[in-house]
Amino acid sequence: MIGNDVIDLALARKESNWKRYGFLNKIFTPQEQALIANAQNPESTVWSLWSRKEAAYKIYNRQTQIRGYIPIQLECFDLEYEEGIRFGNVVCYDAIYFTKTYITSEYIETIAVAQKNDFMNIKYLNSKVAISKINGIPNYYDTENMILKPLSKSHHGRFEKCIGFI
Amino acid sequence: MDKSAIIEKLKTIVKPFVKNEEAFNSINENTDFIADLKINSANLVDIVLDVEEAFSIEIDNQSMEKMLTIKAALTIIETKLAEK
Repeated sequence: MIGNDVIDLALARKESNWKRYGFLNKIFTPQEQALIANAQNPESTVWSLWSRKEAAYKIYNRQTQIRGYIPIQLECFDLEYEEGIRFGNVVCYDAIYFTKTYITSEYIETIAVAQKNDFMNIKYLNSKVAISKINGIPNYYDTENMILKPLSKSHHGRFEKCIGFI
Repeated sequence: MDKSAIIEKLKTIVKPFVKNEEAFNSINENTDFIADLKINSANLVDIVLDVEEAFSIEIDNQSMEKMLTIKAALTIIETKLAEK
């Protein structure tokens, strides 16, 4: 189970005003809002948290086949941080997902998995890979083993990232 | 406020965030904000906030969860207006 999300920070600046009254309250839990308020770079923290929710939601959607606008139900927790990579958890109802977020000055990218060791079973795919959707959920055809495997693709502004299971 | 008046108001709110103009031109109750209009999910919260402001209602989290289509938005707005 995988999900990913990429955010072009220049485009996010144009598309969203996260300082708008009520914005943070609608999509972030009180604990997450505290992380933002105490952050050295609140903007980066807003989009880091948002990309984790988006990536984790893709797993939730794959597992349950349920769609919903549920940012508050996807609560992010910070784990270790090393050299531009933030590890974390996302708790969604009774599930826990694991996230790895790359934080740069240009973009923020999160990869989420349902099992922690699946971080090692993921590779980047060419974004032009043939995608087969089942109930709106994307897979790619692994030609070597002749089976469909989970894929997650995200595009925002200048950036596009496509990942799949090895 | 009747249904068509609500839809018109809703269309004005949604328009600035639409990425697929063609789908917007053929908008109907089954139109999906994300799947059809290609609205960025981070902008759905702007739509929720704009709807709250335009109709002077409060959209709770439970209602927001369902707000993926014009039809769902319409139902939520009608329910909240009736509660006033």
